[in-house]
Amino acid sequence: MFERFTQDARAVVKGAVEHCERSGSRTVDAEHMLLALIDRGAGRGSFALAELGLAERGESVARALEEARRRAGLSQTEAEALAGLGIDVSEIVARAEEVHGVGAMSGGRKDKGRRGGHRSFSRGARDVLERSLRIAVARRDRRIGDEHILLALTARPGVAAEVLADHGVTHESVTRVLHGGGGTKAG
Amino acid sequence: MSEATDLAQRAGDRDPRVGLRAVAALRRLMEQLEAVQVRSARNQGWSWQEIAAELGVSRQAVHKKYGRR
Repeated sequence: MFERFTQDARAVVKGAVEHCERSGSRTVDAEHMLLALIDRGAGRGSFALAELGLAERGESVARALEEARRRAGLSQTEAEALAGLGIDVSEIVARAEEVHGVGAMSGGRKDKGRRGGHRSFSRGARDVLERSLRIAVARRDRRIGDEHILLALTARPGVAAEVLADHGVTHESVTRVLHGGGGTKAG
Repeated sequence: MSEATDLAQRAGDRDPRVGLRAVAALRRLMEQLEAVQVRSARNQGWSWQEIAAELGVSRQAVHKKYGRR
């Protein structure tokens, strides 16, 4: 599958691993791919993000992702629902991370974590890569670019898509910026 | 006055949606916690049998959920 990735897409995947390592997380998650996409600054996906005003809001995105991690990957609504039961999710996450390390509570149940020195991809991250392939195929694009990764991130329900939507980046807005529509005419 | 607010809130809690959402969120949180603990136990050399006994489920159930595919 990776041989069909463009250089930009490969750079995003590599950047995601670096983000993961820097944060001390156990597995490479979809969230790390989003962060890598933002600070990459090259490629069609990064271009789309810049067009949608996200280039200067990288810190805000990083902060929102951080908060989501403290909520064990649950959405704001879910965390509030639990608070209604008297359950403080951030407290539970803090205690789990104290013992089991940063990001202990945000991985999927089948994530294996570190093995043999390098980090593995979480189920979520693998799902993003598979989706980006399907999106490229559906669009009859021969290569998988960083724009397909971005589209996959917006299409997959989860923390990354939620944070993106909060910053005005949705599947629709990305598609519009990438492929025009509504007033864009050739020539 | 505060009693009235209290009552209003409790009435709100009778909305099944609020309760159901909380249960669904709790289930997700529990899954996360279970994964953390199972992983930790495995790292410390626990057998599937021992983990299953503590969780109160069958060995097969734990292994199917967390063991290698």
